Amino acid sequence: MSDKVIETTGLTVYYGKQRGIKDVNLTVEQGEAFGFLGPNGAGKTTTQRVLLDVIRPTAGRAAIFGLDSQAQGVQLRRRVGYLPGELALYKDMRIDRFFEMYEFLRGANGAKGYWRELAGRLDLDVGRKIAKLSRGNKQKVGVVAAFMNRPDLLILDEPTGGLDPLVQQTVMEMVREVKADGRTVFFSSHILPEVQAVCDRVGIIRQGELIATQGIEELIAARLNRLTMVFDDIPPAATFDLPGVSETARTERSITLEVRENLPQVLAAAARHNVRDIETHNVSLEDIFLDFYGKGDGGNHA
Amino acid sequence: MPRLIWQELKFRRNAIIGWGLGLCFFPIVYIGIYPSVADQMASLTDLAIYQYMGMNLNTFGNWVGSILLVFMPLIASVYAIINSTGTLAGEEEDGRLEMMVTLPLPRWQIIVAKAIAISLALLIILALVAGVSLLVFGALQNQVETDVTGINIFMAVLSVWPLTFAMGMIGLFLAVFAPSRRVALMLAAAVLIIGYLGPNLAASTTALEPLEPFFLFSYLDSSGQAIREGQWAGDMLVLILAGLAALALAIFFFARRNLTVGVWPWQRPKVARPHSAVQPPLIKE
Repeated sequence: MSDKVIETTGLTVYYGKQRGIKDVNLTVEQGEAFGFLGPNGAGKTTTQRVLLDVIRPTAGRAAIFGLDSQAQGVQLRRRVGYLPGELALYKDMRIDRFFEMYEFLRGANGAKGYWRELAGRLDLDVGRKIAKLSRGNKQKVGVVAAFMNRPDLLILDEPTGGLDPLVQQTVMEMVREVKADGRTVFFSSHILPEVQAVCDRVGIIRQGELIATQGIEELIAARLNRLTMVFDDIPPAATFDLPGVSETARTERSITLEVRENLPQVLAAAARHNVRDIETHNVSLEDIFLDFYGKGDGGNHA
Repeated sequence: MPRLIWQELKFRRNAIIGWGLGLCFFPIVYIGIYPSVADQMASLTDLAIYQYMGMNLNTFGNWVGSILLVFMPLIASVYAIINSTGTLAGEEEDGRLEMMVTLPLPRWQIIVAKAIAISLALLIILALVAGVSLLVFGALQNQVETDVTGINIFMAVLSVWPLTFAMGMIGLFLAVFAPSRRVALMLAAAVLIIGYLGPNLAASTTALEPLEPFFLFSYLDSSGQAIREGQWAGDMLVLILAGLAALALAIFFFARRNLTVGVWPWQRPKVARPHSAVQPPLIKE
């Protein structure tokens, strides 16, 4: 069996003349948690819907476990748990009846009644009617439905939306357990610290195009160094006028720089001006994400 | 598949009870009052409105036919189109259909399960009305001078099923074809109204006569003779075939469409052919 759990090749979707996604080439390996990032309308949900054959590609192919998402959709969906971003449930049903129906329709996959354990973990009262649930409790129902047959691949679109911080932690724990179990997670979220906490790699999609796919650690290491240097005599601004280096703050004694390239030259220049202290800042995925999107300059850094 | 059909039927439980009891109003009231209004009814037959609507009320058989094979099928068809357009287009609009199609079920099964559930729901509703009609007629039989039997009435009510099945399947097809539930329901209502009024218009207007075969209600005979002898099997077959054709179209279009996009078929993107393995893209941009 292929180690590639998800593979898309030239995946393109147009809604009439409107762009959905364009030429998305993506691979997610067995056992990894893959974060899929992008602002609203970037194409995250479209990509997920194509993977599950909810919508069909205009061009290109998508496969899960080596199975074509269109031609072999039924076989592949047996192995997938999906939590959509816009969750809609049968309002007139009781939660336990809904889970029974869901288990009945999708097959338990050797995990019959597992939903009870999951509901207990999320403190979900399964005797209640779905219509009477708050947004957070409805989201819990969606989370349980996605996890309940112990799928080989979990596709989660904003899984912690509407949940309180404690339940968010529980859901993240559940995601880590899936990963620890050697199963695969395709994780889309706007909460970047959450993605950073559970994912090995991320794909960043912008205006329908996948602009970067990289391991989070590599991405952070490669993209940006942020340094604050303290001097006895502050050097002139031109000192660090190097390609890939920008000054973001300056006081009487210190300069803060963002360094993408030429780090050795920056350190050498600082040494010539009797630097007293250098402080490095941890760069978060959020910094990287904002960097990709260019903070208003059109985001052409990719 | 049986699981899915059972689930779809369970979703319709309240509707079956509600519409079934509601439609029982027709036999309870109209058969129930017949002994006391029989003489007046015979005199109403000459009124133009009744003649225009093809109603003849001068015998018990004609009276029952006018109610159970004219108004009752119309109301049952309203249920059929509301239910069938709501089950697909409605679920698609509120997002529930997305959850359903991401289950390991082929799309044709989803449509066929819904079609069977709608058909069974209609049959259960009509069987309930037929049973109540039989009971009401049984209670009043000795007060009515007629050669119509209880079984005739029971079978007459059940004979409405092919018409409602056809309407339900047309509704299902329109739900798949049209961009929204509202449009699908509007179109289905237009088909129903035209199908209902059409036969009488065609009968009274020579220019419309050639169109008569296209009006679904022209395949349901509402005369007293139809109550006594049953509907013509050929007409029933036409209605069932019309329903099956609409179902086939619904399956065809549903298998090829995107969900939650809300556009007409000709506005939908041209879809790449499925393949058993990942291939290079068809279009390189």
